[in-house]
Amino acid sequence: MSEHEFHPLVKQLLDGDITLADLPAELRAEGQEALQLLAGVERTSVSMPAVTWRVMTALERRRRRFRPWLLAPALAAAAALVLWLRPASPPPSPSASLVTVRFVLVAPEARQVSLAGTFNQWNPQATPLIRAGNVWTATLTLPAGQHQYAFVVDGARWVPDPGAPAVDDGFGRRNSVLTL
Amino acid sequence: MPPGSQATDGDIVRAVLAGDRERYAQLVERYRDRYARYATRMLGSLDAAEDAVQDAFVRAFDQLAQCKEPDKFVGWFFLILRNRCFAERRRNRTSASLDAANGVAAADRADGGAENAESRRALQRALMELTPDQREVFVLKHVEGLSYSEIAERLSTSVPSLKMRMHRAYDRLREQLRDHT
Repeated sequence: MSEHEFHPLVKQLLDGDITLADLPAELRAEGQEALQLLAGVERTSVSMPAVTWRVMTALERRRRRFRPWLLAPALAAAAALVLWLRPASPPPSPSASLVTVRFVLVAPEARQVSLAGTFNQWNPQATPLIRAGNVWTATLTLPAGQHQYAFVVDGARWVPDPGAPAVDDGFGRRNSVLTL
Repeated sequence: MPPGSQATDGDIVRAVLAGDRERYAQLVERYRDRYARYATRMLGSLDAAEDAVQDAFVRAFDQLAQCKEPDKFVGWFFLILRNRCFAERRRNRTSASLDAANGVAAADRADGGAENAESRRALQRALMELTPDQREVFVLKHVEGLSYSEIAERLSTSVPSLKMRMHRAYDRLREQLRDHT
């Protein structure tokens, strides 16, 4: 057995078949080292709200490629689609309190885009999106629950997500609602 | 279907195959997040995982007529996603470790603890040094929380062979983590 190999009993500990107390005294330290390894396991939920839109757009784009007479309306629709963000709806998981969500925005004309919402005290400077071509993205890990948000384009224009549910903010604007 | 009842996967698959393509969005919505974490941990990057999940759904749509048991769509879809993740890792072996560490960084900020953050980052880097087979069994058991028998059923393999893979993974992780400390 090489120096890096865990003792077979310690492997059983990692598998959850036995507990630390079941190990003989001389293996306890190795057992603790092994459990420390598992303490680093990242179990945060991951949500991909944009995937539904991306899949259906890919399928539609391909279908239209085979029906060229429909291409013009398709392009018009694409031009009108400046912003998108789908609400996340991961399966309920009582143990998962944090969810990783990627916010995606298509805004070819924008010079800067940020995200303001209940998760950053509506601070438009707190969460800038990163540009890749025409697409702006930000990845956040948020507590499960309901959040309200809006995109802030060029530091001044507050834009709700037209594809997500929205509520009146009481000041004449609409906020998008994300439920995790 | 009675009002208020939810369509089964089989109902939706049959509707899509009959020409109602838009119904496919329901399946995507239903399952896009279920394996998001699996793909992210397998590929070490949220961006790569999102691309893989998208591609897997498009591929599943193309092959939907081959889904022999429409009510078990999700198990069938998982195998397509799995193949996609394995192919992606073969194509792009080098850049994932760094992405992996960065990928967990966002979560670290949210629930604090520099020590926790460092151990997560170190483990994620070490995971990316495993073979895809080893990493997969580790992710399914210790991240997704499945038992060996559940994993064996999902991957059509045996529990002893999974345990052998996992036990090698433990040793390699130990070696990697020692090398980096």
